[in-house]
Formats: sequence, C-alpha cells, structure tokens
Amino acid sequence: MATFQAGLLLQKQLKDLYKNPVDGFSAGLLNEDNVFEWRVTIIGPPDTLYDGGFFNAVMLFPTNYPLSPPVVRFVSEMWHPNVYPDGRVCISILHPPGDDPNGYELASERWSPVHTVESIVLSIISMLSSPNDESPANVEAAKMWREQRDEFRKRVSRCVRKSQEMS
Amino acid sequence: MDFDDDYYSGGEEEDQMLYTDDDTDAEDFDFIDNASDSSELALSNRHHVRNYTVLSESDIRQRQEDDITKISTVLSISKVAASILLRHYNWNVGKIHDEWFADEEKVRSTVGLLENPVMEYKDASEATCGICFDTYPSGEMLDAGCGHPFCSSCWAGYVSIAINDGPGCLLLRCPDPSCCAAVGQDMINLLASGEEKEKYCGYFTRSYIEDNRKTKWCPAPGCDYAVDFCGGRGGGGGYDVTCHCSCSFCWNCTEEAHRPVDCDTVAKWILKNCAESENMNWILANSKPCPKCKRPIEKNQGCMHMTCTPPCKYEFCWLCLGPWTDHGQTTGGFYACNRYEEAKADKEFQEAEQQREIIKNSLERYYHYYERWATNQSSRQKALADLQQMQTVHLEKLSDLQCQPESQLKFITEAWLQIVECRRVLKWTYAYGYYLPEEEKAKREFFEYLQGEAEAALERLHQCAEKELEVYLNVKDPETDFNCFRTKLSGLTSVTKTFFENLVKALENGLSDVNAHAASN
Repeated sequence: MATFQAGLLLQKQLKDLYKNPVDGFSAGLLNEDNVFEWRVTIIGPPDTLYDGGFFNAVMLFPTNYPLSPPVVRFVSEMWHPNVYPDGRVCISILHPPGDDPNGYELASERWSPVHTVESIVLSIISMLSSPNDESPANVEAAKMWREQRDEFRKRVSRCVRKSQEMS
Repeated sequence: MDFDDDYYSGGEEEDQMLYTDDDTDAEDFDFIDNASDSSELALSNRHHVRNYTVLSESDIRQRQEDDITKISTVLSISKVAASILLRHYNWNVGKIHDEWFADEEKVRSTVGLLENPVMEYKDASEATCGICFDTYPSGEMLDAGCGHPFCSSCWAGYVSIAINDGPGCLLLRCPDPSCCAAVGQDMINLLASGEEKEKYCGYFTRSYIEDNRKTKWCPAPGCDYAVDFCGGRGGGGGYDVTCHCSCSFCWNCTEEAHRPVDCDTVAKWILKNCAESENMNWILANSKPCPKCKRPIEKNQGCMHMTCTPPCKYEFCWLCLGPWTDHGQTTGGFYACNRYEEAKADKEFQEAEQQREIIKNSLERYYHYYERWATNQSSRQKALADLQQMQTVHLEKLSDLQCQPESQLKFITEAWLQIVECRRVLKWTYAYGYYLPEEEKAKREFFEYLQGEAEAALERLHQCAEKELEVYLNVKDPETDFNCFRTKLSGLTSVTKTFFENLVKALENGLSDVNAHAASN
C-alpha cells in the first residue's frame, strides 16, 4: 500500500472525526501539513483514577499504515503500568505484527489493518480504566498498583492535576 | 562447539561423495555406491531393524499431500480446508479424526473454517473495504469465507506483511479482529507475489517437520533432510540416526551421535567444556601467573609492587615479573622497569611448588579426560578425511599396482569405517569416564580395562590401515604378500569391532556385570 493511500486513509479518518466527534477524546493534526502526525487529547474516563484529567498524546503513523500500527506516546505526564516511563503506550493491538512470532497473543488482540484512530484511542481509554499488570511496561508503576494502591492513587491524581493546569 | 562446526563444514563434501545416492551419477561412481552400501551396514549394523526413516524434501511434500488427501476424503472437505486443519493440529491425522467426529462445530470454530459467512455483501452491488474504507463493486471484493469484505490491494498488503513476518502466516486469519476465519492457501496463491508464495510454501513444508513430534531436521549445516523416528525409547539401538548426508546424530538431543553415553551426560560434558574453556580464556587474557607459585593473578590496584596471597607471599614486579628485592630502594635495588631490558628468564622459580599443585589437580583430572576426548575427536576427523582420500584416489591406484579388482579392496573401506566409528565411541567413553564416580572402584577398574582393551585394538587397527598400507601404495612387489595384508587388516577390523561392541554393551548396562561378578566372588 503506497504512502499516498495511507495519507488518504488518514485524511478520511480525520474528516470523519471532525464531523462525528467521539465521546472521550478529541483528535487533530500536530501540524496541518503532515497527516502522519496526530495529536489527541484523551479525557480521563469517569469513575476511574484518571477521571478529570486531559491527557495529551501524539500518534505517529508509519508510511505503510494501516499495514503497520502507529506509535502512541503520552506527552502529558502519565503513571500507568502499561505506559513506558517515556510515555509510549504499550498495548497489544499496537504491537507490530512481527513482535509475536510464536503467536502467544490471540489474533484478535494484535494489530490488524482494520484498526482506526478511533478504535486505537478507545483501546487506550479502556486501558486507563483497567490496567494490565501482567506484562507491565512500567514495572515500578505495576508494582505500586499491585502493592500500594494508595500510593498509586496519589501519584495518578498528581498527574491529573498537572494535566488540568497545562490545558 | 568449534569441533562440530569444523567437522561438519569440512565433512560435507566428502560425505556426499561417500554416500552418493543411487540415482545420481550411479555409473561413474560404481565402487562408491558399493562402499556406501557397506558403510551403511557398518555404521548401522547395530540397528537390527532401522527404526527411523530419512526424508527428503520431496518425501515430505508427498507425505503432506497424502495426509491432505486422506483428511479431505474422510471429512469431505476441500483440500485447502484439510491443510488448514492439519497445520492447526500439527499434522496429527488421528487427532483430527477424533475431534472432528466428536464435535465438528467446535473444531470448525477454533480452526476458523466457517460453514456459512457471518455477513453477506455479495447481494449488494457495492461494498466498502474494511481497511481503506473505499467503495468497490462487490464482485471485486474478497473475503476469507466469513463475508468481511476487503479490497484486493488491502488484502495483498495484509498477506504480504504476514508472509514476510515468518511462519505465523500459516495461521493467518481474517483482518477483522473479531473474526476467526482462516486464510487458506487458495487466497495466498491469489494475492501473494511469486517470491512470497515460495516463502509460504517453504514454511508449509517446514511445518510438517517442526510441528510433528516424531520428525526432526538433520542438524548438519546445509542439510535439507529430515529424520522420522519411529523407535520407542527402550527399543534398543538408542537414538543414534544417520542422515543421508552421512551426519550421525542423536535424534533425542540432536547433538552428534554419542552412543553408548546418554544424552544427560553429553549435555553436562558439553556445558563443562564451554565453561572451562571460557574460564581458561578469561584467565589467560586477564591475569599473569605468579612467578613463584604460578597461580593466576589479576591486577586490581595501581602500583606495580605485587604481593602474592599467603602462603606464597612472594613480592614481585608486575611488569617484569622479577623479584621486588631488585626494585625497591629499601632492599638495595632500584626501579628500572621503564628501561627496555631483555626479559630475564628466571629458571630458579620453575621448581614445582606445592600450592600450584593443589590448584592444578582438580583441573588436571578434567584435562586428562578432555584431552583424550578431543584427541579422539580430531583423530576421527582425520580418519574421515583419509577414508575419503582412500575412496577417491588410493583404491584405484592400489588396484592397478597390486593387480586387484577394486571389488576385492572393500576390506580397506570397511576397516576405515570401523576406525571412524570406533573413534567416535572411544571419544564419548572419556566423557563417561569423567562422570564415573571415583568411589566406585570396581566399576572404574572394569571400565578402564574394557576401554584400554578397545583402545589398544583400535590403535593396532589404525596403525595397520594407515602405515602398513602405505607400502603397497608405493611398491609393486613388496616383501610380504598383499594377501597377507588383507588377512591381517580384516582380522584386526573384526577383532576391534568385537572389543567395541563389548565396551558399548557394558556401558549401556551401566557396568552392571561388576556387581554380578563381585557377588559371585
């Protein structure tokens, strides 16, 4: 699939999102000239520790999107077992197809070209409400989540406050 | 393991010569064919019934085809569906039958063979591709039998990424994450490029060997044969198999053939060898031996004035390894190691030192066995090379010179094959010896006796095949008759064979004769 088609597809998704915004997040381009770099603001899902936060993230799409997944990185400070300390989001649907040669992850959990910006962000929102501490990207956060829930809660609400000040 | 690499890479060509298949160059290499028959006999005569089959790539494809046909006929499904099932069940035909007839629905849904599409788009004139969201005439859309429509260019990209990712493409499913429909070979043939199709077929063939518990690839580099092992664990003859490429390996652990020693001992021994050699390398690279007690010393502080640890306590200079008394001002010497002087050869400190002995002893026991193991290994490699030289050059020459038809010279090839095999066995008996507990005195003695007898016989045979044969290669009418030589070499071959058979038998019994013997005394 050519870069040209990837660009068209992203353009189309952008237009759709402008026309029919989805609850829970807003999306746009980082820079109007480049359709491969997106900025999304995710609203902390209600009734979770992240409630009330406005978390900014960038999505970088490869030129062979949708055959390969984008990289998603939080630019707002984030404390979560499945987010690397540098902000990169680690969820199975964003793993490039080659990462799991033995097929441990179910096909339905891995990247598939049918995923869109919308389905990716919705997965991230669901990740915020239910962390997976079995294969953590941030080991310290996962340990805190498991063993010192209070401490974890404090740490997250600090992130939430910070995200409110920034926006 | 360096040895293995050397052996295999060095051995490949000659081995192919040795074991030329009947269908290639049969006329030109008639005598080699004979040799290959006898060699197979010699190398595998201990398997009274061969409990394994060597499979070529075409054999594998044939077996796959047979299995696919069987499944497709019995279950009345298409061949594409049959091959999806077989891959999913690791080519286990029996298991497919059982599960399919127990619960066809369940099998279909786990494997992804849908009976009916979950959605219909063919009735409409147009459909939207689930990947690029473009609209195409329904006739141009494809699906994996599930009815999720994608355009052919998105499909091609999807398939291509999957194939280039590796063998996982054999279990490819519909791009829709909620759908489990399997993508069969028919779709691959329709969508993939020539190169990708080839890759896919390669993975498909490999899956037959790699997913099957009873088959393994021959571990020799560059060898495309696989071995199907049908013997049971206790079926006698052990796990040793010989591939058509002449590589002998243990089917169980895929190390080189190691009868009569068991796989655990071999694994321990190999690990020990790498660990020891790494230790030695590190010591050589990072330490100097104390000039007095010879213990290796690592320098971890700045100054050149070294004091060896008690009880040695020798003080010396790190740079020149000379005594510090020559360096320090307090002892009347002066520091002069900045000057280039010819290294002083100090003979005085070469006396054997108690300390040194203690450290050496534990290593020495290991080196004793390792050295003998390694020597037999290299001796075997040399014998293989000699055997090849014999078959390609010397036999013909010998036949001319001694007026013997080549068919009458088979006994020489047999002798060499026996040597090659005996060197292998002997080599492994040294690993066995290293792990035989010191306390079991009677067993040790018996083992060393048997090993000694066998080794002596082998040396006589090797000597005769190597040195005494030379005479007949150079002189037309030697003093002793060629027929005498024939009798001697054939005799030695069979004697050696018996000695080694006894040795192998005894070790495989765990030297149990000793106990019986001790009891009767």
